[in-house]
Amino acid sequence: MAATLGYKNIYRDPKGYPEWQGRGLPIESAPAGLAQTSEEPKAPGPLYGLAMIWTLLGIFAGGMALNLTPCVYPLIPITVSYFGGQAAKQGEGKGNLVAHGLCYMMGLAVTNSVLGVVASLTGGLMGAMLQNPIVLIVVAAVLVFFATSLFGLWEMRLPSGLTQAAAKSYTGYFGSLFMGLTLGVVAAPCIGPFVLGLLTWVASMGSPWLGFLIFFTLSLGLGLPLFLLAMFSGQLERLPRSGGWMIWVRKLMGWVLVGMAVHFIRPLLPGHWGNVVLAFVALAAGLHLGWIDKNQANFRAFPWLKGGVGVACLVLAAFMVTSWAMRGPGVTWKPYSEETLKEAQNQKKPVIIDFYAAWCTPCNELEEVTFHDASVVNQAESNFVMVKVDVTKGGNPLYERLLQEYGIKGVPTIVFLDQIGKERQDLRLVDYLPPDQFLGRMAELMKSGS
Amino acid sequence: MQNKKSALIAFLAVLITVGALWFSNRAVTPGEATWDDVLAEATAGGYRLITTSEFSERYEKHAKSILLVDTRQEWEYRTGHIQGALNFPIEPTWWSRRSKASALERFLGPDKDRMVVFY
Repeated sequence: MAATLGYKNIYRDPKGYPEWQGRGLPIESAPAGLAQTSEEPKAPGPLYGLAMIWTLLGIFAGGMALNLTPCVYPLIPITVSYFGGQAAKQGEGKGNLVAHGLCYMMGLAVTNSVLGVVASLTGGLMGAMLQNPIVLIVVAAVLVFFATSLFGLWEMRLPSGLTQAAAKSYTGYFGSLFMGLTLGVVAAPCIGPFVLGLLTWVASMGSPWLGFLIFFTLSLGLGLPLFLLAMFSGQLERLPRSGGWMIWVRKLMGWVLVGMAVHFIRPLLPGHWGNVVLAFVALAAGLHLGWIDKNQANFRAFPWLKGGVGVACLVLAAFMVTSWAMRGPGVTWKPYSEETLKEAQNQKKPVIIDFYAAWCTPCNELEEVTFHDASVVNQAESNFVMVKVDVTKGGNPLYERLLQEYGIKGVPTIVFLDQIGKERQDLRLVDYLPPDQFLGRMAELMKSGS
Repeated sequence: MQNKKSALIAFLAVLITVGALWFSNRAVTPGEATWDDVLAEATAGGYRLITTSEFSERYEKHAKSILLVDTRQEWEYRTGHIQGALNFPIEPTWWSRRSKASALERFLGPDKDRMVVFY
C-alpha cells in the first residue's frame, strides 16, 4: 500500500515480532490504557450558573425527544382531538386554547415533578422497579394493548365522563389539567429509562428542590410539542382529507409498539429467544404492512412507500436471523468452585471471574459482544480460565461469601486473578468494555507474574 | 402486478442481506502462508522483504533513521513491540487499506526515501 503512495524504500519483515522477541532483541511495551473505566465515577458537584442552564437545556431537549417514544406517541392524536373538541365547543377563542394548553402542561409538570421529588428522596428504588419482571410484563402488555387499538380492533375514546367535564367551559380547565396529569402517569414507563440516569444523579445530590427543577424542565420539554399541536388542532381539521393511508400509518405505529413490547420483555426470555421473537415480529410486520394490508391512497408514491416499508421489515428480519445464526461460538464458562481455581493455579493460568445477573443490560452486552468476539474467545480458550457467577437470585451461601470476599458492589463486575491467584485490583471492571480494550486487559493480566 | 414486483424485490433484498452477512461473517481459517506466497504478495505490493537477521543488523547500526511500523492491533502493540516501533493498526481487509491510505501517508511523513519497515 505504501508503494502506491510513492515511498521507495519499503521493507516488510514477514516473521515480525515473535521472531524478534524470540531472539532476545530489544523490545518495549506500553502500559495498557486502563484510564477510563477502572476508576469510580466522580460524584457530581452542585451546579451553578452556566452549567446549570446547559444541563436544563439538555434535559428540555431530551423531554421533547421523549414524545417519539411509543408510550407518548399514541396519545398525541387523543390529545389533539381533545383540544379540537374544546375549540369547537368554545368557538375560536385563541386565548382560551392557550389557557387550556398551559393547564395541560401544568398537569404534566406536576406529575413528573412529584415523581422527581419522590425519586430524589427514595434513591435507587425506581431503577430497581424498572428491572422487576412483573413491571416489565405489565409495560409490555400495555404496549400490546395500545397496538391492538392502532390495528383497529377497538377504538380509543376518552371516557364519557371526562368529555362531559371538558364540555363545560369552567371545568374544562380542570379537564386539561387532568389530561396532563394522566399523560405523566401513562408516559412513565417509557420515560423511565431516560429518567433512570437522571434519577440516580438527582438521588446522589439528595436535593429535592433540584429534583423538582429538573423534572419540571423535563415535562416542559415533553409538553411543548403537544401544546403546539393542541394550539393548532383547529387547523388540523382543514388539512386535506385523510385516506386509507392514515389507517396504514396507524398500523405501522402499532407494529412499532409491538416491537417495543418485545424489546421490554427481552431480558426475561432465555438465551436468544428475544432475538428470534423480535425477528418474527419484523417478519409479520413486513408482510402485513407491505402486502396483506389493502389500503390505498390517492397519491402515487404510496405503493412504493408501502412496498419499501415491507421490504425493509423483511430485510431486518433476515438480518437478525442470519446474524444470530452466523454468530461464532462464545467463551466457554466454568461454574465457580475452589477446585477450578486450584487447577488454574497449578496450570499457571490467570482466572477471569464474571459476576453477572440476567436482568443487567451491560452484563448481557458484555456476553453478546465482547465474549463472542473471535479474538477474545481465542485468547480465553488458550490462556485463561473463565468463570461465571450468576447472582440473579440471592441466597446461595457460596456466592454470598464470594461477593463479600471480593467486595462486589453491583453487576457486572469482572475480577481478574493472576497466575498465583491474586486479584489485580487495577484491572477490575464494573461496566461494559468493547472487545479490543478487553483484550488489552487480558494481555496485561498475562504479563503480571510471568 | 405491483404486488408481484414488490415481492420479487423483497425476495432479492432478503437474499442479498443473508448473502452479505454470510460473506462477512463466515469463519475463515487463514492458512499458513508459504514463503512463495509472501514473495508473490511482496512483488504485487511493490515492496521488498527483509529477514529478521538482516533487519536486526541494520537496526543495530542505524536504528534512528529507520521508520519501524507495527501494523498489528493496538492491544498487541501494547503487550510488546520492537523497541522504537510505532503503531499503525491495519486490518488485513481491503476496506481498511483503502480507508486508511491518507492517514498512512501523514503517518509516514514527507520523506519518501526513508527506509520504512513494516511488520
